[in-house]
Amino acid sequence: MRLASAPLLPLGTTFAAGILGAAWLGPRPLLLVELTGGLLVLATVALGCGHDRPALFLLLGGLVALGALRGSAPLLPHDHISRLTLPPVVSVEGRLLDEPVRWATDRTRLLLEVDAYQDGPDRRPARGRAQLTIYGETEPLGEGQRIRAEVRLHHPVGFRNPNVFDYPAHLRRDGILLVGSGRGDRVTPFTADAPPWPIRVRRWAVATIRAQLPESSAALLAGLLLGERTALPGETDEAFRRAGVYHVLAVSGFNVALVASSVFAALSLFGVPRRTTALVAAAVLVGFALVVGGQPSVLRATVMGLLLLLSVLLERDSQLMNALCLAGLALLVWSPTDLWDPGFQLSFAATAGIIYLAGPFTGFLKERGWPHWLAAAVAVSLAAQLPVTPIMLAHFNQLSLIGVAANLLVVPLAGPATTLGMLALLTQLASETAASLLFNTLWLLLIALRVVVWAAAAIPGAMVHLPAPSWAPVTAWCGALLLIPYLATRVWTRAAASGLLAVAMALSVWPWVSPGDGRLRITFLDVGQGDATLVELPEGPRILVDGGPGGARRFDVGERVLSPFLWNRPVGRLDVVALSHSDSDHAGGLGAVLRHFHVGEFWESGRWGPGGEDALLALPQSGAARRVLGAGQRLWLGNALITVVNPDGQPSVSPNDDSLVLRLDWRGVSVLLTGDLGWRGEARVLERGEPVRVLTLRVGHHGSRFSSTTPFLESARPPFAIISVGARNPFRHPTPEALARLEAAGARIYRTDRDGAIVIETDGMRLWITRWARGTTEVFDLDPERSSEAGDTSPRNVRRVDLG
Amino acid sequence: MLYSRPQIRLLLVLATMLLAGLGIREWRAGFPDAALRLERFDRAEPSAPLLPVDTTGGESGRTSHRGVNGALARPETRPVSAAPIVADPRPLDLNRATVAELARLPGVGPGLAQRILEERGRRGRFDSPEALRQVVGLGPKKLAALRDLVTVGE
Repeated sequence: MRLASAPLLPLGTTFAAGILGAAWLGPRPLLLVELTGGLLVLATVALGCGHDRPALFLLLGGLVALGALRGSAPLLPHDHISRLTLPPVVSVEGRLLDEPVRWATDRTRLLLEVDAYQDGPDRRPARGRAQLTIYGETEPLGEGQRIRAEVRLHHPVGFRNPNVFDYPAHLRRDGILLVGSGRGDRVTPFTADAPPWPIRVRRWAVATIRAQLPESSAALLAGLLLGERTALPGETDEAFRRAGVYHVLAVSGFNVALVASSVFAALSLFGVPRRTTALVAAAVLVGFALVVGGQPSVLRATVMGLLLLLSVLLERDSQLMNALCLAGLALLVWSPTDLWDPGFQLSFAATAGIIYLAGPFTGFLKERGWPHWLAAAVAVSLAAQLPVTPIMLAHFNQLSLIGVAANLLVVPLAGPATTLGMLALLTQLASETAASLLFNTLWLLLIALRVVVWAAAAIPGAMVHLPAPSWAPVTAWCGALLLIPYLATRVWTRAAASGLLAVAMALSVWPWVSPGDGRLRITFLDVGQGDATLVELPEGPRILVDGGPGGARRFDVGERVLSPFLWNRPVGRLDVVALSHSDSDHAGGLGAVLRHFHVGEFWESGRWGPGGEDALLALPQSGAARRVLGAGQRLWLGNALITVVNPDGQPSVSPNDDSLVLRLDWRGVSVLLTGDLGWRGEARVLERGEPVRVLTLRVGHHGSRFSSTTPFLESARPPFAIISVGARNPFRHPTPEALARLEAAGARIYRTDRDGAIVIETDGMRLWITRWARGTTEVFDLDPERSSEAGDTSPRNVRRVDLG
Repeated sequence: MLYSRPQIRLLLVLATMLLAGLGIREWRAGFPDAALRLERFDRAEPSAPLLPVDTTGGESGRTSHRGVNGALARPETRPVSAAPIVADPRPLDLNRATVAELARLPGVGPGLAQRILEERGRRGRFDSPEALRQVVGLGPKKLAALRDLVTVGE
């Protein structure tokens, strides 16, 4: 491929680079305006003086600045809802920007474009978007409808942990600065608005599919045809991911090409002139895009499809790379933040890969005697997979090892299924009986598709989880891919490509093999209302204590927060997973952890109750050895001594008092992990004379007032206290009483609701405490040898050193 | 010829699909159980509520966890994994311990471990763990925490 055949390529890439740069630059619109203007003036001058080449480079520089200008966050108007002082519970009015998403049985997510709010008796105009979570049943709602909702609004928080997806930043890119929650019966739709026709078509299609096919197959077909995946069973969803064929469930170039080519083929068959056919196909394509919605992958494919049809109309040759660049440029000018969207990145990377690499690959395979059809299929699959790999790793930590092979089987099934699905839906308009026959054929096809995907996903090692790569290996990887078409013709390219590949591999492997810094590291993760603590010993062993909230039909912290955090660390194996007690805010996330990681041992208190079902289900398959612990037991793990402080074996009134309480000693440093131990449990721990004097206390029961009693704290005398608690939790943890008692005991308090994840590092002599959300690290001098008593940890001996 | 060849092919495909649909519909109506099994082949079986494994080794209810030395070996449900975990450690012999071993004790850093060794060198040997009180930086509370973990050998 030659650059001259894709004149839009430099323009598209420089503009995108500018948008990327805006993220680093921060909000500096004035500087950017000046820069853009200056560069463009210079370019004009250069052109006027006859220096074409410098003018071009200045122009491209100006385009980078223009991209940065477009990509920087817009200034908010004064009546933007995030700038207004709103009452705690506010009645907002606005239009639904999206179909409501029911993501759990009793929870619906609405995206509202607010235009007014109620301030006492007055109705005042406002602007801005808010994402609302509505609990309970609502009246039927649809996109485009105007509603009034009584909600609590607040800034999105997310989970602030090292190397984990930044949810507020993601919402901000969509222009959502506020989120809110409210009850279903407080949402009032204004009935006047009927949804526009594309949404009615979409709903009709989904309803028809559901009526004609049994549950799982209907959900799969809705995904294939319309990208509607909300009803898809978890097992099917997971199987498509593992097999590396998830792209067929998103509407993309695949569907668009099928729609356009079906229309084209059908009309040509009946002798309709070529130009009319192209026009009709273009109209159908636009209609299809409107019905399935405006995701970047749909828009990309539609723009490219329309350009191809235009080339038919004008009887000109089409340049695919140029069409791709035009689509990218159009999308980014319209909505620059799409550049960060995984769907946008995957769609463009896969398409660019196919355009750029499929030809060379096919040629290479055919030279080795492969039949043309097989060579082309493998080449396309491989060409799409290679550039997509770093994107999949960066966003999802997933690397599908059988994706290339699975696609060879899945695409030939998904293609006919999609075409037949559209035909069946059209037939439904004419005759329900005939449509029912087609749907029955389709059912068998869908079963076959599911069997293939399920079998591919069942292969061990079908998908591996790896840490997100940094920019350096990604750059090296992309460089190697760019050289591929020239491997056969120029000698130096082989050396360069292998060099770049080696660099990419070495950089990716480095985090696994790099020697540690000899520090004990304890991370109290921000998991909202719940607990999860990762202890990493300098000798290598790792202990995870509790897994945060999770489980079926709710936000699974284990799946969405803990697992990515561990993958990115990178951690492949947890020597010990300990569970304090089985409440869902401690045990809920452990199911996902047990499924995703090799776990050596599972430590438990022996008492199980509601909340731990998911973890119990996952335990037998995980292969972890179970160990029930009781007070007085001691275990060495590396150079760390773990003492079991609770339970003592006498059943308690409250399950919280039977929490597994662990004490960890490493050199002079100690930490006490108390689970949800309450006052009765604390009293019994003191009675038994357990060693509770400690440097760092993980405060019991998220700072409940029924824990952390004065006698317990007087014995523990922790200089540092960590409270793992969710912002705005309904239990009002941590309570002022508990906080006052901790302060009276002289503890320095750290809270995950305000500080995000709290990371404690120590080499035995000094202690570093990082508040992740604030980006600050404090250094304390432990100097345990100088004092004459175990009271070496009392605050007066702790010297605080701030490192800026 | 009324129809062209591609048109006949298309009609043939359509007719085949309709016929296949008819057959599948009849089969699904005739064997609804088999059809349902096929439809749900990849779904996890809704399982009965699980009870936790009784890991106390057949003893009914919960037993006391405390043994003679403050700990009791417990039967495992499986052999312990390859994790480098040592349960119920033997007390450390103060007269044979190295600096590294001493530094693993709770509350003992490398500096204190070195001073314990120096004290041992000065005395020749420790007669009892209480003799550790003579080491600078080892108070009664720290000693109490260590008492179960150390011993003195010949």
